[in-house]
Amino acid sequence: MMLRALSADWLKIRGKGLWFLVFLGPLGIVAMQGLNFGLRFDYLTKEYSDDLWGGLLDNIANYVPVALYLGGTLLCSMIANVEHQTSAWKQLLALPVSRTAVFMAKLLLCLLLVAVSCLLLSAGSVILGLILGFKMDLIPWGDILRIGFMSYLATLPVLILQLWLSLSFRNQTLPVSIGLTLSMGSLFATFLTEFMPLTWPYLAWNAPNPIWFSGAGLLLGMLLIVPSAVHFARKDVA
Amino acid sequence: MLIYEVKNMGETVINTKSLLKKYGGRAAVDHLNLKIDKGEIYGFLGPNGAGKTTTIRMLLGLITPTSGSIEVFGQDLRKNKLQILRRVGSLVESPSYYGHLTATENLEAIRRIIDAPKSRIAEVLKVVSLTGEEKRPVKGFSLGMKQRLGIAAALLGEPELLILDEPTNGLDPSGIQEIRSLIKRLPEEQGITVLVSSHLLSEIEQMAGTVGIIRQGQMVYQDTIANLQLQASGEMRLAISEPEAAMFLAKRRGYEGTLQEGRLILSRMNDARVALLVKELVENGHAVYRVEERRQSLEDFFLQVVEGGAS
Repeated sequence: MMLRALSADWLKIRGKGLWFLVFLGPLGIVAMQGLNFGLRFDYLTKEYSDDLWGGLLDNIANYVPVALYLGGTLLCSMIANVEHQTSAWKQLLALPVSRTAVFMAKLLLCLLLVAVSCLLLSAGSVILGLILGFKMDLIPWGDILRIGFMSYLATLPVLILQLWLSLSFRNQTLPVSIGLTLSMGSLFATFLTEFMPLTWPYLAWNAPNPIWFSGAGLLLGMLLIVPSAVHFARKDVA
Repeated sequence: MLIYEVKNMGETVINTKSLLKKYGGRAAVDHLNLKIDKGEIYGFLGPNGAGKTTTIRMLLGLITPTSGSIEVFGQDLRKNKLQILRRVGSLVESPSYYGHLTATENLEAIRRIIDAPKSRIAEVLKVVSLTGEEKRPVKGFSLGMKQRLGIAAALLGEPELLILDEPTNGLDPSGIQEIRSLIKRLPEEQGITVLVSSHLLSEIEQMAGTVGIIRQGQMVYQDTIANLQLQASGEMRLAISEPEAAMFLAKRRGYEGTLQEGRLILSRMNDARVALLVKELVENGHAVYRVEERRQSLEDFFLQVVEGGAS
């Protein structure tokens, strides 16, 4: 039932600018680092001379948490808006499909889109490194995959919160404002305690034990699905 | 206030008992008993804000009743919501659509969820005469076309019960005509039971077999259209000399009526009773100046019921 709802959602987001956003995020970060390295190529290559790929990835990773939060907020809002805009909820939820399936389909859609962004970021990073003339045989494939996905797992709590807010409020001002505030807050992650989930995407790359923070994000995210889905299943549809 | 019981003619499709929905202490739907039989077109009437849409949303499981029960096809809605919804098609208030998608894509998005055969899309588009427009984005459609697309979506799953909330709201006369004839066709051709709501009696009158009138969340009238028309039929006014004595005489003969401004106002009169009364009055020495009929329109009757105190 959820997969049927997902396939319907897949159709509904056509031409809504979601795919544009999915591409814009990672390509934007890569392009920014392209500029950074392009302008200061000699200085930076000397700075990172023992690990050129690592230096590039570290630079990229700085912008990953904020991009994930921002992109996630906007994706959630856009996904919800497809239904809010012409009050399609009353039509959708009067169909023989469980509310939980509808909620999970939207969540899965959002997770898939962000995952595509993360893959694009990994691919973009490799391409940028190669363009900059870094050695192909030195590519740290593990880190390349980790750069998006470790932080991605750590953003799950906020992503699920955003989806829930966006689905709950017809007016997207509040959910988007909260999302923007959280995104900005994540820029100051280094000043915050590691018990704040907001810092986890940053720590999921930079901490000595990054896997802890990805794991914590995954766990808290899973836990947050339950109240969000239950609320969505019970609420009155206007 | 009178509540008219509808005779049980067959299988009951919708049956609500003491349905209540409160918003912050105010009852939007107040202990509503709704009973709709299979194969009929039920007109659900009431002024704006009377609780029609709230009732319909509860019937579709979109909102949860504060108390009371809903049975559809003899099953409890709370326990068997999905089985019930599989047999129901609905159109609630303003049309729901995805503006950036074409008509076909809109229907496809619903078809994927309810798992209807692909061929069904062309069929329902034909039923609502949107064939030829299916490749255009729906945001360019007129309101009437969007509304017809909504009905097409409701028909997609071959429902046994169709719930249409104000389907003709905001349409031009030809659009109204088109939707009306479409709704009338459905029970005849496909045995579908239809619940259609409106705030206009004239509209329901031309489609429905049974009407329920709701006011401030309460069902104030429920009967067949034929009986409603009988109820609303005219009254006879007699201008006459010595009206008090004449009224006394009429009452003794079993006529019902009142005295207003020196005129006898008598209700439920057929030709024979009018003739008999006039004869008797003349024989008793009254001069009959005028006998006139004043027809109360259904619309007047509706307003009377809606504004409180059905006759």
